[in-house]
Amino acid sequence: MIAKKVQFLIFLIFVLSIVSIAIFAPYIATHNPNEAILTEATKAPSSDNLFGTDRMGRDLFSRVIYGTRTSLYSTLILVLSVLVLGGILGIVSGYLGGFVDVIIMRFADMMVSFPGMALAIAIAGVMGPSITNAVIAITMVSWTKYARLARSLVLKIKHEDYIKAAFMSGTRTHNILLRYMLPSVLPTLIITAATDMGGMMLELAGFSFLGLGAQSTSIEWGYMLNEGRAYMQSASWLMIYPGLAIFITVVAFNLLGDSLRDLLDPQSEDQVLQKKIRKTKGESLA
Amino acid sequence: MIKNLKINILLVLLLISTTILAACGDKNNGKIEGSHLNFGVYNYSDSLDPATNTNSSWCGVRYGVTEGLFKFTDEVVAEPNIAESYTVSEDYKTWTLHIREGIQFSNGNDLTPSAVKDSIERLYAQTDASKGGSGNSNPDGYLIYESITADDAEGTVTIVCASSTSNLPGILAYPYFAIIDASVADNEIIGTGPYKVDQINLGVSIELLSNEYYWNGEVPYDSVTILFIDDSSTKAMALQSGDIDLVENITTASDLSTLSEDEEYYVSIAPGVRTANSYLNYKGVLENEALRQAIMLALDKETMCDITVAGMYTSGISVLPSSLAYNYDQLSNPYEFNKEAAIELLDQAGIVDTDGDGWREIDGKNIELDSVTFTSRNLNEFAEAVALQLAEIGIKANVNIRDYDTALALLNAGEFDIWTCNTLTVGVGDPQDYLGNWYSVNSGNYGYYSNPEYDVLYEKLMLELDNGKRGDIITELQQILIDDAATIVYGYYNSSMISRADKVVGADIATIDYYWLTTEIKPTGR
Repeated sequence: MIAKKVQFLIFLIFVLSIVSIAIFAPYIATHNPNEAILTEATKAPSSDNLFGTDRMGRDLFSRVIYGTRTSLYSTLILVLSVLVLGGILGIVSGYLGGFVDVIIMRFADMMVSFPGMALAIAIAGVMGPSITNAVIAITMVSWTKYARLARSLVLKIKHEDYIKAAFMSGTRTHNILLRYMLPSVLPTLIITAATDMGGMMLELAGFSFLGLGAQSTSIEWGYMLNEGRAYMQSASWLMIYPGLAIFITVVAFNLLGDSLRDLLDPQSEDQVLQKKIRKTKGESLA
Repeated sequence: MIKNLKINILLVLLLISTTILAACGDKNNGKIEGSHLNFGVYNYSDSLDPATNTNSSWCGVRYGVTEGLFKFTDEVVAEPNIAESYTVSEDYKTWTLHIREGIQFSNGNDLTPSAVKDSIERLYAQTDASKGGSGNSNPDGYLIYESITADDAEGTVTIVCASSTSNLPGILAYPYFAIIDASVADNEIIGTGPYKVDQINLGVSIELLSNEYYWNGEVPYDSVTILFIDDSSTKAMALQSGDIDLVENITTASDLSTLSEDEEYYVSIAPGVRTANSYLNYKGVLENEALRQAIMLALDKETMCDITVAGMYTSGISVLPSSLAYNYDQLSNPYEFNKEAAIELLDQAGIVDTDGDGWREIDGKNIELDSVTFTSRNLNEFAEAVALQLAEIGIKANVNIRDYDTALALLNAGEFDIWTCNTLTVGVGDPQDYLGNWYSVNSGNYGYYSNPEYDVLYEKLMLELDNGKRGDIITELQQILIDDAATIVYGYYNSSMISRADKVVGADIATIDYYWLTTEIKPTGR
């Protein structure tokens, strides 16, 4: 357990350093990320421009640093949107049951039956390319997982005596939902959201890479990758540094999410224990 | 142990069968060494029917399947091709075309004057919705004729135009008017070019075979695979890996530069007759003349053409390319790049930043230009460079990169401030149609530009038949557009064709980009 806590602490520091980079971007960046000197386009990394310059003559290091803000901010909004939407629909569906449950869950089934990314691309394509639309599109296809999770957790406690007691004593539905259902659902949803951060970030970057997310006016890693793609052979730094930034950040959030799950989710600990027992039994049989 | 042995035997068998199958594949793909060409192209259309749409008509000619009665030289002069000569009445209404004898379509049918007549009539019928036509090509935009008659005995086709038409050879050289065998056109497109279609794999490739009936010399390749590769970098890499031997228009400057520096590749670049420009919407904030003038002053077009798009364009000031004979040298530009002058002009015009947010305002409202474009021939790079340079003088421009169809819809709906595109300026060998894009009553006047002086001159151009006088009028029209800061002109696109030097010779790109796969392109050693 202590080892897990230490591990969690290390990953938390890792993620916090990335967050700090986003917060203190103006102090870390060496240039104005939007300042374009067209005559200085695609210069190789040097002491003036640590990561070189992009095709518009902008300092790539500063853009990668500022890109942290866009990526973290948009991913946070995305995860919160998915959490809130999926959570509310799942809790309502699970608690009210009946017709409401059927409508929400069948709609969720319908959404799940489509390939998520393809549907999100279609939605973003219809709405037009922008980071906001990309967030909306991914939210629309990702909420089902949270709704199902919240619903199953609600169903688990719905028939507990203390809920029945609350109901019998005349507690209003919204109070039951807020005071009893939400607190029991929230920790699991938060753990799931934390583990999903890296994946969501990657999806957003993918959207921008495809030209469906961030546009040229914003500073975003996925879009930088897209811009650099044409220069893969002659100015590889245009892809390497934004790519590394995405890689490091996604890995950091994934590790933190996994670590958080290991720490807070007793089920996973049980499963590990059971696996160990099974393994030991198997070895002794052999 | 026995289990492992079985697995190993299975793996070896799998390896052997894979090798055999791979060898079979190679045998099929290789065909006869030296007489097969793999040509990588952007997929503009799967159809080669001149009536389907503009792109399909171009593709037929580009792939060497169809040909026109006339053909453009590199100087953009229409010279006889299937028609060997012509006579014209004094009023330029009645044109008698003498059709070359002995030409056959690639299916062996004779190309007679009647076949020419049928082909042209089919084009008009197929594109006339009132007669049930479903084609989207627009031949009426170039030629309206009263009658067309064929005399097989004399070998002539006579076209009587609805109005005086001084440039019929140029019009007939346009790919819409490519001659096809109308008797079989419902099933397949048969032309008179050096190659004929063997198989079309929609969206993937077109297989061509040599036309055994070709009339104009030897066909160098027995077969050609036209491979559709839309991404420019992928095209470059396919050429480098040897998947293709020839490729048209690599539009990523860095890839083109890499290939140019490598002796293994032959890079042909032609001074283009395509202009990259931005239409400015006069129904929006850009109606303000001082703002337009400041924009012109703020843009460093030379740097944009030489560095941002790395020489893919030759910078220029007029809507008509400097390589054409329309007196480019006589034009003057009052808006040479001068950022300070742009700032001063805006300040004097009262277009200033009053709320301190860094962006200038007009009538108390922030200027926020909607710059729409699409990813073709470096247009998005121009749009982004413009937005960055305008930001330096305090004008906000949001770049909106859309797919071509959406961008076109926004253009037609007038939902843009700046719309950047790349246009062939002398499609029929004459810039009259292109200059009509600023004629106030024209449906193609996308920016809603209006200048009575321009309109009068343009109407004069429409009636003028004398080439010398037309040249003078065209020069004046160009100067008016420059003076009015009517449109942002970036430069003139340099078309390119790149081949593997050890496999292909003669792969030179034509000035006018209707002609890609010609009989000049041959295997090495022929």
